[in-house]
Amino acid sequence: MSQTLLISGPPGCGKTSWILKRVQAHRGPCGYLRLAGYPDEGLAQAPDGGIDLAYLQDQCPRLLDLADLDQALAPRPEHLLALIELPQFQPPTESGLGGVDRRVIPQLEALHLKPDEHLHFGRDTALPRQDTLDFSSLQSWERNLAGTVWDPASLSSFWFELVNAAYGDVYRAKALMNLPDGRAFFCNWIVSQEGSQFLPLQTIAPPDCRPERMSRLVVQGKDLEPAAIEVTLADCLLSQALPHSSPSA
Amino acid sequence: MARWALISGLRGDLEAYEAIQEDLRHTRRVDTLFVLGDVIGPARNCDALLSRLQQPRRGELQPQCLYGWWEDQLLAERGYRGERRADALRLSQGETAVDALLQAVDPDHMGWLAELQFGFIELDCALLHGSSATVEDSLGPDSSPLLLLDRLTRMEVNRLFTARSGQQFRIELTGGGIESQVRDLEGQRHQQQSVPKRQVIGIGAGVHYTIYDPGTDRLDFLTAGSRPQQRARGFA
Amino acid sequence: MAHAVISCLHANHAALEAVLADIDQQGIDTITCLGDLVGYGPQPNEVVELIRQRAISTCQGCWDEDIIEGLNACDCSYPSQLAERRGHLAHQWTADQLSEENKDFLANLPMSLRRDRLLFVHGSPNSQHEYLLPNMDAFAALERVETAGADTLFCGHTHHPYVRELRDGSIRVRVQEGVASGGPSLEKEINLPLRRIINAGSVGEPRHGNTNATYVIHDEQTGTVEIREVAYDVERTCRAIIESGLPPIFAWRLRHGFEYAERADDASHVCER
Repeated sequence: MSQTLLISGPPGCGKTSWILKRVQAHRGPCGYLRLAGYPDEGLAQAPDGGIDLAYLQDQCPRLLDLADLDQALAPRPEHLLALIELPQFQPPTESGLGGVDRRVIPQLEALHLKPDEHLHFGRDTALPRQDTLDFSSLQSWERNLAGTVWDPASLSSFWFELVNAAYGDVYRAKALMNLPDGRAFFCNWIVSQEGSQFLPLQTIAPPDCRPERMSRLVVQGKDLEPAAIEVTLADCLLSQALPHSSPSA
Repeated sequence: MARWALISGLRGDLEAYEAIQEDLRHTRRVDTLFVLGDVIGPARNCDALLSRLQQPRRGELQPQCLYGWWEDQLLAERGYRGERRADALRLSQGETAVDALLQAVDPDHMGWLAELQFGFIELDCALLHGSSATVEDSLGPDSSPLLLLDRLTRMEVNRLFTARSGQQFRIELTGGGIESQVRDLEGQRHQQQSVPKRQVIGIGAGVHYTIYDPGTDRLDFLTAGSRPQQRARGFA
Repeated sequence: MAHAVISCLHANHAALEAVLADIDQQGIDTITCLGDLVGYGPQPNEVVELIRQRAISTCQGCWDEDIIEGLNACDCSYPSQLAERRGHLAHQWTADQLSEENKDFLANLPMSLRRDRLLFVHGSPNSQHEYLLPNMDAFAALERVETAGADTLFCGHTHHPYVRELRDGSIRVRVQEGVASGGPSLEKEINLPLRRIINAGSVGEPRHGNTNATYVIHDEQTGTVEIREVAYDVERTCRAIIESGLPPIFAWRLRHGFEYAERADDASHVCER
């Protein structure tokens, strides 16, 4: 029997990690949709830019992209586990499906999705307990890094500076970064957790040309200093002239 | 495992080189020839030897060459070492020696000489003309054991083969130790370190050469032309 | 008689002032500086002039040398492209800022200073770029002191103060000449003398985990060594960094007790350039 779960919670509470575990544990087909969320009360939602989807698809190559309209129109496979992720700061006002943000419904209907269940981090015991933060105002900044390659040691230094407030009060940082040997890493940090995650992607890009896959940095926090981040980025990214892969390759 | 032949200090002497190659033709299980520098010198024209090293004859072992002190002086004088010139040679033997060295080597050979490496690392052995510190280092039986140990430690090798002194010797570090106490802002640490069992080997010069078996660690100090020739098997 | 040794000032005027005040307060007249007066920090001229004004005996550091020679430390000194780019920027900025007179002063600094059996160097007796780390091979450390003809070697460059005593050393050898196997051999044992390496840490760019400047006081009569930590107005230097136009990240790193740019891991490597 198919099931559609809507998972909501504040940034960094562990939605994507929980979703990944569910996908890996499910024996049948899985699909994923990440909703952008809504800027409430001055909170700026940083567009994820597809980082979570790209990471999940790397870990689970057969994961269906539920945002794909072709997928929406096609008959859904049997026993599909559809997981919808919604960044949401405020806890729902009602329990169960009644608490789903009304603004979400038309989006889901357009994609032929109807949640059977809504779980919110911090409210529902089916989800792990996480220290969810009280964000009263939040800036966000992102940088498309497609086609770029990092000097690995520079990435370590930059990330250390970033999560230790060298470029503003960073609450959350998330990125997909490419390395010169063709590997890529999903980098993830939230101020409430100790330590960053650096998770390698399964797919390796050919190292003799610039990687074509998604690469992006997303930062949320206060008093962010994008200009200073850009200066450091320029010093960290390898500038060696690598060809882009030819269309026929 | 095949054995190595190590030679140095030919200083343009093609005859000596041919004598060694002839020896090696009749020596079993030697498949590698290392030439640890000083193939040139001011006393005779070196072009014939240099040509032979670059284009061995049929049946000769292909030499793997490093640069030595004489090569370094020539390269410096010819402008391959930045601002440095053959100052050490000039100081020790005068301007005539510098001129003689320049005359002894056709400039056409400079490209090959400039490509020579400082040293080789093979199977936990360092092969150098002088030492890991400098091509000028003349390590020998009278060298301070502390200095020898330092030169071994710099390369993190168990065997250091050197040629600069021209002598054939084997120096084994057989034991000893030292206490080290460090105090810093975090506190104090005490450490005891033992002398590792390592060796420095002088391979000789000219017709005096060395055969080394890396499989058994056996060394033979030889002189070209003095071994009884083993008859080669098969047809002449 | 007690004397003070300072090192690695890195154009940090507030830190240098605080350290000199600390030394003066203890009535110490003899001060030796182990170089790196400039580099990364915002006040290269002020620091050089203060050293000149106080007539402090100084040997040349790697940064001092690089500014004069017009070369950066080789790429192998930097573990990352980021550190290298920041280093190059700091080098260029410092070279542009320094007066000709102060450059002349740095150019004429000696590679080392000697007083009886005490030797003062920036990195090691071999090179301004060689790190003598506290955990380097003990025999190699002893060799540095012994070959230089000293009992006590003062060094800097690592920015991490320490006192290392090397004692009760011996090496046994067996020597064969002319015959490799089976021939006569000579066995001998040499006893190694007691030697010390004293690292003065850094006044201007600490790497020991907090923002305090460090230096050492050595009493030649008793042999005692004190590692001194001196707090100073870090924010004054941070403000100077921002006002001078140096990257603001330098201020953040200094404020948090981090080096301006990371040092390469292979501390034993000596640049061949």
